[in-house]
Amino acid sequence: MISYTLRRLLQIVPLLLAASVVIFTLLTLQPGDPLDEIRQQNPQLTAEQLKELEHAYGLDQPIYVRYFKWLGRVLQGDFGQSRTYAQPAAQYIFSERMPKTLALSGIALLLALMVAIPIGILSAVRQYSLTDYSITFFSFVGFSTPVFFLGILLLYFFAIVLPEHPINFSIGSFDISWNWPALPTGGRPNIFWSDVTEGTINFFDFIGQWAYYLILPVMTLSLIQMATWTRFMRASLLEVLSQDFIRTARSKGLAERKVLYKHALRNSLVPIVTLVGLAIPNIFGGAVITETIFSYPGMGTAILESLTGKDYNVAMAALTFLAVLTAFSTLLADLLYAVVDPRIRYD
Amino acid sequence: MTEKAKKAIETQRAQTAPKKERSQSTWAIAWRKFKRHKMAMAASAIILCLLLIALLAPWLPVLLPWLAMYNPTAQPTGSDVGSQYFLGPSAEHYLGTDELGRDVFSRIIHGSRISLLVGFIAAFTSVLIGTILGTIAGYFSGQSFAFYTGPFNRAISLGQPLYFASTALPSSFLSLSFSWLGRLVSWGLFYLVLYLVGYISWVLASSGLQEAIAGTWNAGTIFSVAGLTLAWLAIGFAALWGLRGELRIDIDIIISRLIDFMLTVPVLPLLLVLSALLRDPNAAVGQWAQQIFGEAASVFIIITIITLFGWITIARLVRGTILSLREQEFTAAAKVLGLSESRIMFRHLLPNALTPIIVQATLQVGGALLTEAALSFLGFGIQPPVATWGNMLTGAQNYIFNTPWLAFPPGVMILITVLAFNYLGDGLRDAFDPRTRR
Repeated sequence: MISYTLRRLLQIVPLLLAASVVIFTLLTLQPGDPLDEIRQQNPQLTAEQLKELEHAYGLDQPIYVRYFKWLGRVLQGDFGQSRTYAQPAAQYIFSERMPKTLALSGIALLLALMVAIPIGILSAVRQYSLTDYSITFFSFVGFSTPVFFLGILLLYFFAIVLPEHPINFSIGSFDISWNWPALPTGGRPNIFWSDVTEGTINFFDFIGQWAYYLILPVMTLSLIQMATWTRFMRASLLEVLSQDFIRTARSKGLAERKVLYKHALRNSLVPIVTLVGLAIPNIFGGAVITETIFSYPGMGTAILESLTGKDYNVAMAALTFLAVLTAFSTLLADLLYAVVDPRIRYD
Repeated sequence: MTEKAKKAIETQRAQTAPKKERSQSTWAIAWRKFKRHKMAMAASAIILCLLLIALLAPWLPVLLPWLAMYNPTAQPTGSDVGSQYFLGPSAEHYLGTDELGRDVFSRIIHGSRISLLVGFIAAFTSVLIGTILGTIAGYFSGQSFAFYTGPFNRAISLGQPLYFASTALPSSFLSLSFSWLGRLVSWGLFYLVLYLVGYISWVLASSGLQEAIAGTWNAGTIFSVAGLTLAWLAIGFAALWGLRGELRIDIDIIISRLIDFMLTVPVLPLLLVLSALLRDPNAAVGQWAQQIFGEAASVFIIITIITLFGWITIARLVRGTILSLREQEFTAAAKVLGLSESRIMFRHLLPNALTPIIVQATLQVGGALLTEAALSFLGFGIQPPVATWGNMLTGAQNYIFNTPWLAFPPGVMILITVLAFNYLGDGLRDAFDPRTRR
């Protein structure tokens, strides 16, 4: 196990080097460079002065020389300065964007799993029943729905239609009027973690404010993921239920409940655990579209903004971070697989 | 015996006689099962309708998709020339008009052309590339090719004189010259690579040394100097080893590593980066893409970048299937018969792997369509004057507060189409699966 882990860790090194080549090349070839702003703001600069500047920034060197120098700096944790945000790109991504994406996608994944696993079990246990067919239909619709359409729909329904239509009904002589709160259509609350540490705002207020803004994006993300996880859970449990040891368990007279929860369910969760491990990079990078719709300041929008704003250091930092994360979470998924399933041994 | 009795006997015979079991082909069985899958049948009907509409769009009685409606009788006041934008759904404009006064219904119909075109071509190319690479990887797994044999490699081996004797015969003259040509090419390639590595390390060295001499040492400089030293050592070693040795490469390892690598990179962000790079007319790569693809550049760029990531799923699937098929008896039989490897691969193994490929290809169409829509929605796909369902939704999102009805047509169309392809794939999977009885 330890030697396997070490071998895999060694394999990650060339993989990440290749990824860094791709990321650096693609973003360096993009039009625009750090001198664009200087050129625009100082039109009186002569060609010679510009050449000197280019030399100072190392732009006159061939791309592979620049790559090695970039790699040298990156290994020391220096991704260069972000022009738009006027601070080191890596620091900006780590402290500003990553926690927000982590909150959004992490909550969405947890929610999706919490709903999808029971539904998937129900669907598998009652295979070919009306319940199963309707669950299957909804999960098909779920993973055929484009995230951006679902996001717009939820935005329209929960943030525009419902607040405009208060629900009025009466029970006996009680007239009840209930106004749906106007959910924010995007952005983020104007409070920061520093407010909590400085004591200007209560911790629970902080959580509450952020949760208020997170409702719609989390709903969008988790609804889509729910569909996929339901399918996975159903398929996995059906696979286990068709195996011989389940028939043995049934024939020795165990209660169906015991067969299901003690024998089948535990085994069917093994592939799910692996898939959750593989979904870790998506937690960080996969929410580009949802973040865009709700203009949520996460990693996805950071990459988009850095592309449109030609502030490529940010995109480089974010993409490199994602690549590192993916490599390690793949390893983690494989190791988890061995931990959860004792039949699997790595030598 | 009366006619009636005869008939009665005949019918009785027909009933009691064992029914003739006609063995059906895979395709007939699949079709019979497929017909019972109601959702899949409905899905294929929807897909056929969509295809017909997309093909016939220019001849359908709809308004032009780029035509901005305006009211000719209105008096122009200021900048407003009586443009009929944001009209609600009516008998004239079934789905209303958008922010520029263009008919949404006709844009949906014309947009289907691009969306379906991208979906089908991207799926087709990814399946083609994935199938070929997957077949090669699976078939040649564990069996390496000698790509390069050094000039002294064969000459010093004992088999060499025999080898020469056999190839010197007139009947095998062609094979002789061919093998020499191959070795010549492989030498050339080998030394070309050596030259390139040398050149790069020389440039790195000069810049690194310059800075070292100038006293501006930094991490990059250390890296380049260290890289240079390593590179020259490697070149020296390779040049010596290249004279004697041979280079064996396992194609499967290369393709599998490539797949591993492609799975490591974050797909959607990288698609955005690629699309931004290829579409930009200021970038050298962008100009090159424009020159290659001509007028429809943005469509082909989207197809290219979807294909770049799309072949992986298929390649993994095909590789796995071929790996298991390779071990079966019929492959050994084909080998014993002396069939060529390409014939075994593509005529004997691949047809047996066809059904999972077909299912995956169907799902791939829906996936490609969804990716195109997502990219266009984010503004990194097909650009606005051309209508696609994705970029129509971007337009609609900007006006969601005032004209919510604009968001529904493109969104619902994407949903229906992708759903249809997913159900079709599901139906095909059930139909081809020998374990399902329907």
